[in-house]
Amino acid sequence: MRTTPLTSAQFALTAASVSVAILPHLLRLPWLFAVPIGLLVIGRSVQRRYRAAPIPGWLRLPLILLFPALIVFHYGNLFGREPGSVLACAMLALKLAETETRRDAHAAIAFAGFVLMSALLFADSLGVSLLLLAALSLLLAALRELEVPGTSRPPLVALREDLRAGAFALFAAVPLGLIAFVFLPRLGSPLWGAPTDATAHTGLGDRMAPGTLQELLIDDSPAFRVRFDDPAPPRNDLYWRGPVLWYFDGSAWSRPEFFGSSRAEDELRTAGRAIGYEITLEPSDRRWLLALDMPLAAPDNAVRGADMSLVSRTPVANLLRYRLRSAPRYQLETTLDPVHRRFALELPPGFDPRARALAARWRRDLGNDEAIIRAALALFHDRFFYTLNAPLLGRDSVDDFLFETRRGFCEHFASAFTFLMRAAGIPARVVTGYQGGYYNEVGDYWIVRQSDAHAWSEVWLAGRGWVRVDPTAAVSPQRVELGARAAAGDSARWYQADWLQTLRNEFDLVNRYWNDAVVQFNALRQRSLLTPFGIDKAEDSELFAVLMVLSSLVLALALWWVIRAERPDGDALDAAYARLCAKLARAGMARDPAEGPRRLAARVAARWPDQRELQRLLAVYVRLRYACALPSTTAVRAFARAVAALRLRRSPGVVRPIG
Amino acid sequence: MTPPRLTPVPPPSPPLEATLAAALTRAQQQVNQVVLGKSAQVRLAFACLLAGGHLLIEDLPGVGKTTLAHALAATLDLSFQRIQFTSDLLPSDIIGVSVYERERGQFEFHPGPLFAQLVLADEINRATPKTQSALLEAMAEQQVTVDGVTHALPAPFFVVATQNPLDLAGTYPLPDSQLDRFMLRLSLDYPDREAERALLAASDRRELIAQLKPCLDPAQVLQLRSAVAGVLASPALIDYVQALLVASRTHGEIRIGLSPRAGLALLNAARACALLHGRAYCVPEDVQSIFVGVAAHRLIPAGTSHRSRDELASALLAQVPVR
Repeated sequence: MRTTPLTSAQFALTAASVSVAILPHLLRLPWLFAVPIGLLVIGRSVQRRYRAAPIPGWLRLPLILLFPALIVFHYGNLFGREPGSVLACAMLALKLAETETRRDAHAAIAFAGFVLMSALLFADSLGVSLLLLAALSLLLAALRELEVPGTSRPPLVALREDLRAGAFALFAAVPLGLIAFVFLPRLGSPLWGAPTDATAHTGLGDRMAPGTLQELLIDDSPAFRVRFDDPAPPRNDLYWRGPVLWYFDGSAWSRPEFFGSSRAEDELRTAGRAIGYEITLEPSDRRWLLALDMPLAAPDNAVRGADMSLVSRTPVANLLRYRLRSAPRYQLETTLDPVHRRFALELPPGFDPRARALAARWRRDLGNDEAIIRAALALFHDRFFYTLNAPLLGRDSVDDFLFETRRGFCEHFASAFTFLMRAAGIPARVVTGYQGGYYNEVGDYWIVRQSDAHAWSEVWLAGRGWVRVDPTAAVSPQRVELGARAAAGDSARWYQADWLQTLRNEFDLVNRYWNDAVVQFNALRQRSLLTPFGIDKAEDSELFAVLMVLSSLVLALALWWVIRAERPDGDALDAAYARLCAKLARAGMARDPAEGPRRLAARVAARWPDQRELQRLLAVYVRLRYACALPSTTAVRAFARAVAALRLRRSPGVVRPIG
Repeated sequence: MTPPRLTPVPPPSPPLEATLAAALTRAQQQVNQVVLGKSAQVRLAFACLLAGGHLLIEDLPGVGKTTLAHALAATLDLSFQRIQFTSDLLPSDIIGVSVYERERGQFEFHPGPLFAQLVLADEINRATPKTQSALLEAMAEQQVTVDGVTHALPAPFFVVATQNPLDLAGTYPLPDSQLDRFMLRLSLDYPDREAERALLAASDRRELIAQLKPCLDPAQVLQLRSAVAGVLASPALIDYVQALLVASRTHGEIRIGLSPRAGLALLNAARACALLHGRAYCVPEDVQSIFVGVAAHRLIPAGTSHRSRDELASALLAQVPVR
């Protein structure tokens, strides 16, 4: 009967299902919604446990109307990813409040499945997916408890059986799920429209103020992964170019909009072999694309600015893969554009007089540009410390850094160096990006993390064009006070252990495969699936046909397997009986091979009259083996389990169950 | 420890309705009161009767062969005939003859003593092979043909034949091939001390038999026979029977092993045995309890063997494993 009231175990599992479905959302929701939804679920469980009065009927409708009103109040509308998920969670919690019968529980669990899977709209990493699958198996276990109430069993045994059944159901669905994943025709764009409202991503910005990079340097999440066509260049040469910053306002470096425009091709002259590679960029919600110095062309849907930085036309909201070619040996803009020169020499008036004075002295004493650069680098080498725990700087940040604190990390060095160059009359700019990376041998790719973020300078020299100068590299190695990561603080030091770092880097391989195989599997790749079979671009109908054929095949196989599994399992029964006989033999009552089970039972009963379980097992065996033509698999399994659970103590006269 | 859960295997329903089962038990008890201390043999005799076979009792005179047959007939309310086999007995003496009736101007069949529900063929090995084979044919076919007319024998038709294994002078022992016609062979043996004392102390057996009241009627016996056919022999049991047959054929001390007919007899006797125990299914113990009776007289030992047929049959039982 579908209107059967729920047993306490059934309700508990239903409530647990609803909870795990809501939980991934709850952690993300604003307090305005998280608190009432959580209270609803907890309150309902407590109320049922202590048989308190339920929510009165007249209050339900106002409650149901309250949430949409709150959502509209908070988000402005009911539709979209965020408001929709809040609404679903709220309705699910309310459904639990009125769940009394099996019918209600079925509806609640089915809806919980939907809510649970909608969490994938917010995060689709491997870890999240695995957690959701585990939660899903709990839902399936709850469904099983609804069908097979475990009232006659001890609660823990029943729960274990339910969980096992749930996990099995999930496992059994894997082949069908895989087929549907690959062949179910996909939409060209995500179903839920603009997925740009998530802003939690970190990454390079188009502004560099003191401390902005500091956040990145202690962030271990991957920024992008690279696969080189040929052996990679040395790690020291891996300068991944990001935003180029021209404008300094005294405290922060930023980038004027118009430098995004593309210019003539002849400003970049290259020599030597170009390096081909493929970058898989993590979503950043920004438009920067990373490239090795210097990219020969921009990928599709992106432009290359005059300063060789790549800008995508749309923000990178999803995992993005693009191919590039870069020239490690190049000459850039050997004749400097007058506008560029103006920007590359501009300094904010009224800031940092001591730095300007120092630069002017260098210009006067040394004269040529290379000597000035060497002098600046020598200054850093001799007198400066590298640390992430950089002291705060005042209004004249460059002066403070150069003459007072002398401690800092890449952004301080790049900023101060560029300032000095400009003050000495050498065109200069700040380049931000990443440096280095970790080579994963197993997967043969490089992973570059946010903590590899870096800033350096480019100066323009007559006859050579823009030349990369990394002032941070000039700091004497002995003067590095703390590694970038160690600066994250004592509490996280275990997390920074070398072996753990290595492990994380190696494990990144799995994430990469997940990205490759699952997240990156889009409509385009799906269409090219059937290419080996002579179909260049698979139509939806062709995909659908493949889907139908394959899933029918799998279902037929499953059916065959089920029928086969229902067949009598004589061998298993023999094995279980052999095990029972072995236990008897150990207890001192060996069976002659020619002795029938009833005669054995008679002997056992004569010797150990109070061994009821043993006699019952022997009687069950006789029935399974001889009283029916074909013993059922379930009965045989139950017998085998009971035999396995039987404990006989080896003793001459008395056999007692242990425990 | 939580008790392991066991999906309950429903106990099989009893093969007989309660009144019939009770009557069967009473019938056995009654025969046991007359034939003292031979409950195993009585059970075998009942099994043979219910399985639709015929019984050969091989034993010395005076151990109660006739008493057993009498008691069976009286208890089951079967019509009873005793035929004392002698060397001058002719087939027509047991089957009957066609006599010309002058008034009606035609031959009329006068049935012989074979036309009874329970026939005691005493000292069957004293008759000539011709007469013996007439009896055996009738046993096999449940009918006799005289002058081209077939006469059905009554149902149930149950022959208890006896032969004296020792007194061989002037006898025609049944050939091995003919022994196959008897489903079961048993020997009664001397009663044990206690039973013999009771036997001596009590009144004459013949008076006891005369006082016996029928516990079952022939219709119920037929009903029991059809119930035997319905007893389940599971694949595992048939495997066991087959293994016994194979073992009898490959055993080094046996020249000729058990025939397929012997296999059928084993199964049927085992089914009847199960029914007597009130079970609707056979277990290996049923087969084992009837095996020597059913198989021993069909085994032909090799010349090199020093063991008796019974010993060989027991050796087979000890040799074939049970599942």
